[in-house]
Amino acid sequence: MSVNINPVGLAAALATFFGVWLGHVSVRKIERETVNLWKPTLIALALSAGFGAASFLTSSLSLSAICGILSVTLFWDSFEFQRQQKRIKHGHAPANPNNLRHAKILAEYSEATSFDWLNRDPRGTPYSPAELESMKEGAK
Amino acid sequence: MNWFGFWLCLATLFIIGLGFVWVIRGERYFGYLWWPYVMGAGIISILGSLFISNNWASALLGAFGASLIWGSTELKEQAVRGEIGWYPFRAKKILPPFVNVIKKWKAPSL
Repeated sequence: MSVNINPVGLAAALATFFGVWLGHVSVRKIERETVNLWKPTLIALALSAGFGAASFLTSSLSLSAICGILSVTLFWDSFEFQRQQKRIKHGHAPANPNNLRHAKILAEYSEATSFDWLNRDPRGTPYSPAELESMKEGAK
Repeated sequence: MNWFGFWLCLATLFIIGLGFVWVIRGERYFGYLWWPYVMGAGIISILGSLFISNNWASALLGAFGASLIWGSTELKEQAVRGEIGWYPFRAKKILPPFVNVIKKWKAPSL
């Protein structure tokens, strides 16, 4: 008895995992370092269009799956630059004081901070407002 | 013209979007310590996709498995988001089997 292995699912899985992971990490890194967000936004859109076109042109189902999924994750990433900037404004992601755009945000938005709230292990109980304040103060 | 990638990318977008919902809800009611089970389910889904001859079923199961693995790495940060008040916090969680063993492992976060 022979078992036929279908690689399409594995191709889709790898594209999804790495598309989401690399997108997640890259958006945060690039948004942190770049002053003008329209540049990485346009690059992500152009790459998304390129992968999208490639997904139509290849006759291989696995390649079409990989290109299609990378196209959609890059399209998502192109909007994530703005969403990440919103997180910076709300203090939900750490600002980079050495980035001029972030320095402006730090000056204009009281909730913005260079403190990374998420860089800790869960402890099982919620933090009180006083604890949150002292954590933020301690980081300064 | 090969439309497989186009339709699959729309389905994957839905699967990834669903990931946001189950990570938030799942962490609230079950807690982040379920992560090894979620990751295991993702790995089994991807391995299972290799043995499905139907291309659509295989691709969807593969993408779903990958989103489970990714979600398992997001649970820890989501737990912290709940504790610091960005999301509703629910103290009473349905804990996983072997919770004391899992607590000794470092939860992944990418």
